[in-house]
This record gives sequence, C-alpha cells and structure tokens, in this order.
Amino acid sequence: MGNKQTIFTPEQLDAYQDCTFFTRKEILRLFYRYRDLAPQLVPLSYINKPDVKLPYELIGSMAELKDNPFRQRIAEVFSEDGEGNMTLDDFLDMFSVLSEMAPRDLKAYYAFKIYDFNNDDYICKSDLEKTVNKLTRNELTPEEVSLVCDKVIDEADQDNDGKLSVEDFQHMIVRAPDFLSTFHIRI
Amino acid sequence: MFYHDNEAFENPDYHYSETLEIDRSRERNSSFHQNLHDSSLDDDSLYDSYEGRSGRGQRNQDYPLAIPMASMQPGFQYSYSTSRSAMQHNTNPYGNPHTNPSFEYEPELAYTSPSFHAADGPYVRRSSDMSDGGSFSQRYNRRQADLVYRMPSSLLRLDSNAETYNEDKHKQEEKLIKNLASMSSRERIKAIQKTPKTMKEKRDIRNKVLMEKTKKSASYHTQINCCTQCLYKTALSYQQFKNGLSECWHLLQFWQKTLKVIGGKFGTSVLSYFVFLKWLLTFNIFSFLVNFSFITIPQLIVSGPNNLSFNGLELLSGAGYFKKTVLYYGFYTNSTITKTENNSSYNMRLAYIFTIGIYFIICFFSLVYSMAKSFRKNFINPHTYSGSAAKLLCIWDFNITNEKAVKLKQSNLSTQIKESLSEVTLEVLNLSLKQRIARIAVHLVVWVASLGIAAACCAGVYFLSRNNLQFLEGKKSELENEAATLVLPIVVSLLNLLVPFCFALFGLLEKFQYPRHQLYVTVIRNIFLKISIIGILCYYWLNDVATLEKECWESLVGQDIYRLIVIDFIFCLFGSFFGEFVRRIIGTKCCKKLGVPEFDIARNVLDLIYTQTLAWIGIFFAPLMPAVQIISFFIIFYVKKVSLMRNCQPPRKVWRASQMTTLFIFLLFFPSFTGVLAVMAVTIWRRMPSNQCGPFQGLTSIIDAVSGWIHILDSYSGSKWVVWIYRNLIGSVHFFFILTVIVLMITYLYWQIIEGRKIMVRLLHEQIINEGKDKMFLLNKLSALQTSKLGPPKGEQQERSSSLYQPSRQAALQMTASLERPFGRNGRDFYAESFSAGIPEKTGLSPADSEGHRPAISETLALALRARQQAEWEMQDDDDKDFRP
Repeated sequence: MGNKQTIFTPEQLDAYQDCTFFTRKEILRLFYRYRDLAPQLVPLSYINKPDVKLPYELIGSMAELKDNPFRQRIAEVFSEDGEGNMTLDDFLDMFSVLSEMAPRDLKAYYAFKIYDFNNDDYICKSDLEKTVNKLTRNELTPEEVSLVCDKVIDEADQDNDGKLSVEDFQHMIVRAPDFLSTFHIRI
Repeated sequence: MFYHDNEAFENPDYHYSETLEIDRSRERNSSFHQNLHDSSLDDDSLYDSYEGRSGRGQRNQDYPLAIPMASMQPGFQYSYSTSRSAMQHNTNPYGNPHTNPSFEYEPELAYTSPSFHAADGPYVRRSSDMSDGGSFSQRYNRRQADLVYRMPSSLLRLDSNAETYNEDKHKQEEKLIKNLASMSSRERIKAIQKTPKTMKEKRDIRNKVLMEKTKKSASYHTQINCCTQCLYKTALSYQQFKNGLSECWHLLQFWQKTLKVIGGKFGTSVLSYFVFLKWLLTFNIFSFLVNFSFITIPQLIVSGPNNLSFNGLELLSGAGYFKKTVLYYGFYTNSTITKTENNSSYNMRLAYIFTIGIYFIICFFSLVYSMAKSFRKNFINPHTYSGSAAKLLCIWDFNITNEKAVKLKQSNLSTQIKESLSEVTLEVLNLSLKQRIARIAVHLVVWVASLGIAAACCAGVYFLSRNNLQFLEGKKSELENEAATLVLPIVVSLLNLLVPFCFALFGLLEKFQYPRHQLYVTVIRNIFLKISIIGILCYYWLNDVATLEKECWESLVGQDIYRLIVIDFIFCLFGSFFGEFVRRIIGTKCCKKLGVPEFDIARNVLDLIYTQTLAWIGIFFAPLMPAVQIISFFIIFYVKKVSLMRNCQPPRKVWRASQMTTLFIFLLFFPSFTGVLAVMAVTIWRRMPSNQCGPFQGLTSIIDAVSGWIHILDSYSGSKWVVWIYRNLIGSVHFFFILTVIVLMITYLYWQIIEGRKIMVRLLHEQIINEGKDKMFLLNKLSALQTSKLGPPKGEQQERSSSLYQPSRQAALQMTASLERPFGRNGRDFYAESFSAGIPEKTGLSPADSEGHRPAISETLALALRARQQAEWEMQDDDDKDFRP
C-alpha cells in the first residue's frame, strides 16, 4: 500500500476535501474501498488522473449497497454516464451526499432524483408505484399499490398537477425529520 | 427506448423555453425570500446558509444595479430568448421579439441573476436538466444537433445562437466564480460542497475560483505591506491546524464500526439508543476529566496511605475500603495545599465548589444547546406532519445493509401500508357519546392507578430507607450492616424493573387510537415513577441523613448513590439476560407464537436517564462518580450490543427516532437535570456540612466558603471587580429578578413571532391551494377551447399518441402546466417579496395576484391565448418531430 503522497497529490486531496464533506483520511479510506472493488482495474496512483470507471455490477456489489432495493437508482443518479458506471469522483460524490454532514436540501435533491425513475423531473404515479414495489418486495396487490400512490400524491402535491415536483418533495422532506438520519450510509 | 428518451427530451424543451428557466430561478429566489423570514426554521437549508451568507447582504445593494444591468444586457438576453423560440419553432410567426411571450420576463432574468448569483444558476439549470445527468453543454450540443437536423433552414441563425448561448454560459460561470472568490475560504468550501453537481464540475469551479483568488492576491500583495501577508500566513496555518484537529476528532469517534453494524442490521431507530448511550458516555468522560484534574489530583498529592482492608464486597456496597479514598466527599481535605516554596497554594474548598459549579453550568448550556439543536432539526413543523406521503418516500433506511434486515424491513413496511390502508376506512368510524365517556373513564382510572402506584412506591421507599437507617444505628456485625445497606438499592431497582411492566399492561387496557399516544403516555408515566423515586430519596438524604449528625453524612449519601448505580447496573445486565436472552429461548423453543423479542428502545433509554440523574446528584458527594458511570456505560454498551445481535429483532412499528431523541434529551433536561440543580442548591445553601470531614467542615453552609473568600478578596484592591460581580450579580436578588423578566420578555417575543409565522404559513398554504384551483380552472377552459375551436385532426392525434405514448390531451395538459408554472410561482413570490424590504414588483403577472388571489379576467384571457399559441407551436413542433426517423 502506498502512502497518501503517492496516491494523490496534495492539490488533488485538497480539491477533494473542498468538494466533498470528507476529511483526508476518509477520502483515502474511500479510495481503498473503491480500489478493493477491483484491484486489478484501479491503479494505486491517481496522480496522472487515470480514466478508470468501475461497472455498475461491481459498485452494486458493495456491502453498503448490495441489499439496498434502490442500489441501481443510486448508482445511476450519481454516475456521470447515467448508467451506474462510476469513476472515483462519482464514488466520492455519492458517499459525500449520503454522509452525515450533507445538508437537508442536498440530500433531498438527490433523493428526489433517486425516486424519479423515468428521469422526467417529476415523481409521477409510475415512479411511486415502482418505489412502493421496491419498498415492499411486490407484496401488495396492484390495487393497493395504486391506492397508496394516489394517497401520497394527494397529500404531497401542493400545486395539484398530479405529480410531485422537486419543490413538493422538498416541502415534504421538511416535515419528515427522520429523513436526515435515514438517507445516510455509514462508511 | 428511443421514445422514452425522446420524451424525456421533449419535456425539457419547455424547460428550455425562457419562461421556465426564469421560473426556476425565481423559485429559488422565493425560497430565499421565505428563508429570510424563516431563517430559524430552516437554518441548515442550502439556500439559507448559502444565499443567506452571500446574498443577503448583497441583495438589496444589487437592486439599484439590477435595472442598469437589464438595460445593458437586453442585447444578449433578447437574442437568447429569440434564439430559444426560434430554435423551437422555426416557422413561428411570433418568433420576433416583440410578441415573444417570454420577452416580458426578460427584465426579471436580469434582475434575478445578479442578486441571485450565478452560483445558483447552474444549480437551477441542472435541476431543469435532470433528465440527462450530463453537463449542460453536452446537452446543449445534443439539442443543437437535433435542431440542426430538424430545421436546416435555420442553420445559420443557430450558429450565432450557439455563440450567444455559450457567452451567456460563460458569463454565468464568471459571475459564480467571482462570487465564490469574494467569500471567505470556509464559506466558499461550504458553498462548493453544497452544489449538487458532479465532482468534475465542482473541481473546475474550485480551481477557477482559486486561480481568481491567487490572481487577485498576487496583485494585492505587490501593493500592500508584509503585514497582511503575515496575517494571511497565520490564517493559513490556523486552517491547517484546524484541519489536523478535526482529523484527530474523527479518530476519537470510537465505535463507528459497531454503530454501523447495528445500523445496518436494526435500522436507525435502535441505533438512536446507542447513539444516546454514546452521547451520555462522552458527557461522563468530560465530567470525569474535569473532576479528576481539578479535585482529585491535588488531593492525591497530599493524601496519606489508606490502611483499611479491601475484601471485594466493597465493590458492591461502596463502603469499607472506599470510605477512605478519593471516591467520596469525606476524604477531601479542607486545607490549602501548598507544595512549593514560592507560596503558590491551592485552596481545596474553592476548587471543590467552583469545579462542581462550573461543571453544572457547562452541563446546563450543553444540554440546552443540544436540546435546541434537536428541536430545530426535528420539530420544524410538527403539526403538519403528514402521514403516508412522507412515510413512504422518506421511510427507507439507507443505513440497513444486512440482507435479512432488508427483507424484514420490507415485509414490515408492507404490513404497515396494509394497516394504514385499512385504517382509512376505520378512521371514519365515529364513537358515540357513551363510548367516548367510557373511554375517558378508562383513561382516568388508569392514570389514577398509575399515579397511585408511583406514590405507593415512593412511600414504600421512604419508610424502608428510614427503617434501614435505624437498623444501621444498632450495633451489628460489619457483614450484616453491609448486607442491610444493599436492601434499599435492590428494592428500588426491583420497583424500577417491575412497575414499568405494570404500566405496559395498563397500556393494553386503554386501547389508544394511535400507538404513538400510547408510547408517549407510557414514557411519561415511567419517567414520573423514576423521578419521583429519586425525588423521595433526595428528600430522605437531605432531610434525614443530613440532620443525623453522624460523622460524615455526605459520604453516606455518596455511598447510597454508588450502591444505587451499581445495583441498577447489575439489574440492567440481568434484564438483558432474562428479558431478552431467556425470552428468546422461550420464544423460539417453547412458545413459537411469541417469537423473537423486540428491542424496547423507550424502556432502555429511560433507564439511562435514570442512572444519569443519579450520577449527577452523586457528583457532589462522590466526585469520581463519573468514573463508575463510564465503566458501567461501557459495559452496558457491549452487553446491549451482544444481546441485541443475538436475541432481538428490530421493532416492527415505525419509531420516529429523531423526534423521540428530542423528547429524551428534553426529559434529561427537564425533570432530571433541573431536579438535580434543585437538590444541589438545597445542599449548598441550606444544609450544614458535616463537622469532621470533607472540605467544608466547620462552616455553617457550603456557600460560606465562597462568601468568605469574597470577604478576603475585598481587602485586595486589585480584585474589587470580582467582589462587585459577586455582590451585585450573583448574590443579588434584583439581578436575578431582572434577568428573569428579560428572559420572559424574549420568550414572549419569540412566541409571538412563532404565532405570526403560523398565520403566514397558513396564508401561504391557502395561496398555493388557490393557485392550484386557478390552474385547474384554466386548464379546463383551455381544453374546452382546444376541443371546440382547434379540433386537431384525428390522424395526427393518433400518430402522436403512438409516438409519444401519451394521449394528446395529456400532452396539452402537461404543456399548459409548464406554462402555468410561472404564474403560480409569481403568486408565491409576490407574498415573499412584499415582505422583504418593499422591493418593487417586477413580475409581469403578479398585479393579478395583488387583486385578491384571482387573476383579472383580461390576464386570464391573455394567458389562455398565449397558451393556445404555444399549443399551436407545439403541434408544429410535433409535426417536425414526426418527420424524424
């Protein structure tokens, strides 16, 4: 294992530190976590800015994500190509947003994106149905699912357009105090 | 897949129209405005902290600038908006600027962007291009390519458009960078961290900002002397020092991994218990350090050897050998410790009272602080907590990483959803008067019974303790005496263990409508029981033991507290053994119906609060009590963890972890800590310290130590201010009277502000609902118009629905919805703006709002007309699209 001087330059580390909610130590730890996913792919030095991308299959197999029903969405939202293949930057970004330090609005913004399955800027009924099915492992009947979704839209939709916008979502998040602690992955 | 993509692509087309772009930025703005009023409500929100810092000051200053900027920029704005419309609708007759619907928004853009900073511009933009996760420029290129394909005739125009567009983008970025560069480094980092962009973009921005900074500072440094450079260097080294410190702090965060495992297996709710335990533990470590360094170490220097024998039973009873150690008050000397020749001395009396006094003051403030923080975070808007929506979308616990736990959570969730669905029908059921009376009667009876039980427990404890005291007076053998002293703590612990079960049974009898109410009621009853038992014990100590005129009553009290804590700890271990381990054996082997026990968070947390209260009381009588507490908490942490992992399953019901944590911190503060303060006050001001032992022997009350010291100080001219402070502030009734009045006034003021905000929130909510209604009305009108006047050709409609997989009507709705949005937002903005410093209205539509929430008819018509035009273009647009492969 190289020490931190050989993995990143101090400038790189500073940049990472300024762009995420992590300390140097945590950044290095996350780097090792990233590298452990595919030691043969990820070089031990990032000084030359290698263009490495880990495929979704590897990212999704992380202990933190592998049982999460939303793992694919998380990976898609945070990856630059939108398909779940992640560079180290994306990886750090993801855990930075999911860390304890991230503010509510940032978390809410990304949570919204995660639940917006069809990427249309709104959480519509089909998104909600997908969410419910993921949350309950398809144990509810379709009627129940659609009833629940109607109720949710009814409650959270402030401007009556039949779907939830980012603002609706954020408005709702403000009233759910547990969100901050549950939208959080310990690393 | 292509169509899917296509569709996602098309909606943003609207987002791209100038209206929406502005609308988005205005939204942000509105949230900023609201935050101006509600900054305390949502302090940690991005916009508040972010814009608040950078924008609040500048905003008003920017207004005068805004208009010139608008007049300076129209060239580019204008071409921008034209280009937009031209790009979208090359055959559009309204493509010229004068009738361009987006035209009238233009001043707004100019007006919002400078104050609102480009910093948020990208954010806004990004939120509007969420549909492709790529960067805006990429997207733009894609669009452009698309458009070129679609409209070869406008190729030339497009090129220039692209240029203006890029210019615009550059300008925005420059502004952002300038803004960031003007911030302090900490704020800048925070702002960058909070921008929802990819790392690459963030890093680019950061690097540019840094470059800007160095450029600036380079020119700066040549002019200005080395003094500033020096300052800059110290600031830099301070920053580095702080970074190092924060890394050290992270090292101190022990149990990180254990907490992660627990969170992964049991979710946030159970985790909250362990976090609370850890918090208490750090609290105790702090108090141990304080007491040890300021009281114990000086005493250890002077104390002689201890010649009492140690036989092991002392660990349980706290008597015997421990009597002559630094553990208890009685061992401390009243003398002044002088070790060195040069006359520096250490007054034990003052050290004792000041250490403990300051410790309590620190405790007070840190409790108030964490309570306030927790309240602010978790009770922002407790009244409007809505059921299923928030439940569904916020419920997933991303902490959980264990496969079994995930499955369990999912099945729990599905049963919960089913339950809540069935509740919908149940809730309608209204109770008759008779049933209601019966219910109230049951509640009353149960309350009387539980209060009666608590009172009976207290009386029992009091008489037992008095009898015990008399028993100890008689001459008995040592062993008998020690055994007798253990009776009281065992009885108290038994009561604490068994009576809560009784209360839980009551809860079954009562049948609360909401499980939440049952939880709160049980918690209140339990805390009442525990606190009243402690209260009666305090009464016994201060009233009976203190007036006993035995050799050292303070040490006796200290021993009592020690025993209570130790026995309670042992009971806690037994509790997790019998309550969880044996229960699991029974549940899995004998009686399958019972199943694996759930981890009872409320009971466990209340136990912690109880022991912490005892430890706080004990800190005066036994300064090293925190050490005992640290050891016991440490062991409890591991025992509970093992027991949890082996025996328990996560609670099935939703546990509002954060709200309950707030409640627990509050309970720790209110009956527990304030009660401790009261006990301390009585001890220090009203009780006579024992004559033969302890630092305060020979005084009539403990506070005399301080007043005596002040008296001595009076003779020194250099320390007159201390005397003055003591006489006029601490010792005077008037000061406290005035302080109380001021606090009451501030409280009243805040209460009024909160009331005002509640009204504000209600009004705004009504406003939103009204806007929604307006929108529906307009939509209906519009669709009616569409069907009657335009009547789109059938063939085309079919084509549309097949190509876009949505009926044309829905498309129309969608489109109008996007048109309508600025309207709704304007309404909100209007409200916010009219409250902020009387900023002149600049929106085109809000005059309609000022005329009583409903748009004037002419406005409505204009809007409808505009929407129709938009619809026409949209159709032409679709025609174009249909030609595409």
